[in-house]
Amino acid sequence: MRLYDSCCQNDLHDRGGYARLAPVIRITAMVALACLLTGCGEQKSSAERFAEAGVLLLGNNSEPQSQDPHKATAVADGKIICSLLEGLVRPSAAADGDVLPGAATSWEHNEQADVWIFHLNPEAKWSDGTPLTAHDFVYAYHRLLHPQFAGKYAEMLYPLQNAEAFNKGECAWEQVGAKATDNHTLQLTLSGPTPHLPRLLLHYTWYPIPTHKVEALGGMLDRRSLWTRPENWVGNGAYVLDGHRFNDFLSVRPNPLYQRANELKNRGIRFLPIVNGYTETRMYMGGKLHISNNVPPEMLAHAAAKHPQDFCRDPYYCTIFYRLNTARPPLNDLRVRRALSLAIDREALVGKVVRGAGTPTTTFTPPGAGYAVKPPAQAPTQAQREEEARRLLAEAGYTNGKGFPVLELMTTSRDVQRVMAETIQAMWEKVLGIHVDIRSCEWTAYKAAQQNMEYDISSSSWSGDYLDPATFVELWRSGGGNNCTGWGSTDFDAALAAARSTGNASERRAHLQRAEELMLQSQPILPLYHSQRTYLRSSRHVGGWQPRLLDNFPLDAVQVKP
Amino acid sequence: MTKLLLKRLAQGTLVVFVLETITFFLVRMLPGNPFLGERKLPQHVMEQLNALYGLDQSALVQYFNYWKNILTQGDFGPSLVREGMQVSDIIAEAFPVSLWLGVLGMGIAIVVGIPAGMLAARCKNRWPDALLMFAAMLGICVPAFVIAPLFGKTLGMHVPGLSVAGWDNPLCAVLPALTLGLINAAYLARLTRGGMLEVLSQDFMRTARAKGASVVRQLVVHALRSGLLPAVSYLGPAFAALITGSFVVETCFQVPGMGLHFVNATTDRDYFLIQGLVLCYGILIVGANLIVDLALVALNPRLRSQGAA
Repeated sequence: MRLYDSCCQNDLHDRGGYARLAPVIRITAMVALACLLTGCGEQKSSAERFAEAGVLLLGNNSEPQSQDPHKATAVADGKIICSLLEGLVRPSAAADGDVLPGAATSWEHNEQADVWIFHLNPEAKWSDGTPLTAHDFVYAYHRLLHPQFAGKYAEMLYPLQNAEAFNKGECAWEQVGAKATDNHTLQLTLSGPTPHLPRLLLHYTWYPIPTHKVEALGGMLDRRSLWTRPENWVGNGAYVLDGHRFNDFLSVRPNPLYQRANELKNRGIRFLPIVNGYTETRMYMGGKLHISNNVPPEMLAHAAAKHPQDFCRDPYYCTIFYRLNTARPPLNDLRVRRALSLAIDREALVGKVVRGAGTPTTTFTPPGAGYAVKPPAQAPTQAQREEEARRLLAEAGYTNGKGFPVLELMTTSRDVQRVMAETIQAMWEKVLGIHVDIRSCEWTAYKAAQQNMEYDISSSSWSGDYLDPATFVELWRSGGGNNCTGWGSTDFDAALAAARSTGNASERRAHLQRAEELMLQSQPILPLYHSQRTYLRSSRHVGGWQPRLLDNFPLDAVQVKP
Repeated sequence: MTKLLLKRLAQGTLVVFVLETITFFLVRMLPGNPFLGERKLPQHVMEQLNALYGLDQSALVQYFNYWKNILTQGDFGPSLVREGMQVSDIIAEAFPVSLWLGVLGMGIAIVVGIPAGMLAARCKNRWPDALLMFAAMLGICVPAFVIAPLFGKTLGMHVPGLSVAGWDNPLCAVLPALTLGLINAAYLARLTRGGMLEVLSQDFMRTARAKGASVVRQLVVHALRSGLLPAVSYLGPAFAALITGSFVVETCFQVPGMGLHFVNATTDRDYFLIQGLVLCYGILIVGANLIVDLALVALNPRLRSQGAA
């Protein structure tokens, strides 16, 4: 009879099966209990544990390309390098853009501000005890500019006399304006008046590198040198490299030989390369970080509601805009470009798509560093601007968008860029009656297309390397490598040349403003908004932090509280 | 058996070689290059960089140099984006993480999936079967990028000891392994159920019941060996995929494994790293399939006799 029993009857009668399973169940239960107990013992979050140890947990966007200041190009690299190396000057923790003596104790310049002399601290040492000299700076500049080294950021040193010619292999190194007159005196001769040089010097491309270490591990031109590995690291900054695991963390600990070691406000930093803003925000909320790098637009409201004390929204020296390929019709017509600009409701774009993480704009350079440019004149209301846009398009021969070719709007695959492109596509369709196709490309394909000008309209952004309007305005010089719009103007170039030739800061600013106004009138770009950084910073664990336009607050001044 | 092994090894070597060759030429056909960045590089800098890494030579010369360096010096080349790091170093650092996570994930998949499939088959068309298969279907349909953040938000933030993301203590592996494990358990459960149903209806199972074998003995000793065949075929490639990492799970839990490299190296055009990863993945897939073949031979006597023949 049991032969034909249903399985349930079988199960009921068959105790042997359960008996055999009993040890398995017991072991499983014990393992589960052990796991639970282990878990219960771990009450403190990472943020609490590291805060007790005085170590800052910092979300740092992406895995650094390199800790070598001559190979790095990303913002994430800059934060790490600035904590490991120190330039002639260092950023002030008190005010944005102010500089304090770094490796140099004092400096002076001539009346034209084209010859600068820096006096180095004779007591300054590398972290292995080797004295830091002016020759280390000259060696660093020689390396970055050397044509055979192929430094990606060599252009940052072009203000030095003959630097560009040497970098292109057109002159000898001896002709470049960087000389160590003695062990502790560095003379920089520039190609023109540069009153803003100290702010340029904050960029890591102007930092020294340890000559003795680089020479010992492959020499000046060895791009595969291992001198930046933690076991080989020698620096002159507030910290030394402690550990690094790819895509996991990079940690630094205090440099005992740093000249201001007693002023350090924390006992180390752990940089976490978290690319995904959603993961990073969850990690912050789960007690894994003290400062995050970016809260994505979709999580802004949630983050602000859940952590009102910690949520930060700071101005950032970055502009989001669309490039127009002015070499292609109909974008070679100023009226069309103006119409496209006027038809965009920037307030709605920033409010609905970017969720307030920006300031709508029709200018290019973000306000800051004592510079603000007058926006182009336009009607006060959006309805009037849209009317004007239709009129301009009709004047260009496309009444109600009739006969207007289908243009392609190229974006990267980032969510916010795609949604922004769809919104602007809808605005143009509604206001002007024209249709644009959206082409979403992955990053490298997008950059290749933009740099080769294989696009009609390209979603773009630009962030400043240093706190000066030149880092934005210089972009648009005729034939400039990053212009990529095909636009050029002799008047613009003349205004830029005038700005370069004066040592007077206010005159220089006026020339730059004039140049930018000329560019904006020609509208080779559609400025959309000036970015804001949205991130979370633990008010409980972090003290002394202040927002910076370049996001370059000196990390040695960040206090970590238990 | 030795003949089968040698034959499979020869086939596997050919597959890996062809895979690597196709990858080599395909990645070089993609638009852009490894040195493109936010700023356009001056022409002379770009030319110098290409010359430094031998990318100024024809693709064919680069291809021969690539194999020459591997075969003569064991050099898989440098990373072109993270300059100063070798491809072998990057893989050596990331692979143990993915391997550990993959083994845990596969362990969970086997411990959950196979018993679930056996139980569902045993209780065919009744509520345990419906419930388990509904759960399995859910595991298959709901993507990892939904499950992973849900686990992070619910378990990671509220269960003491578990970690929302990151890799700074041993328990950080629990949630990513659980995500990987449950997704694979869903597939395994369905495959095991299918395989077991076929076996349970056969005559020898009736005989086993007739002679009074317990349920556990019927299932584990008599049915499982044949019922597992579909699941074992799935396990090989699935295991290779698991131990080479999952981009989604690694991104959602900030795990420093291989999955991130697969996607990032491709978007960054890090040629040597892509090739290194493909080579590693190819060898693992071929190896896993070879082990599956051997396991199937061991499980299925008919295959054994074919192999011998």
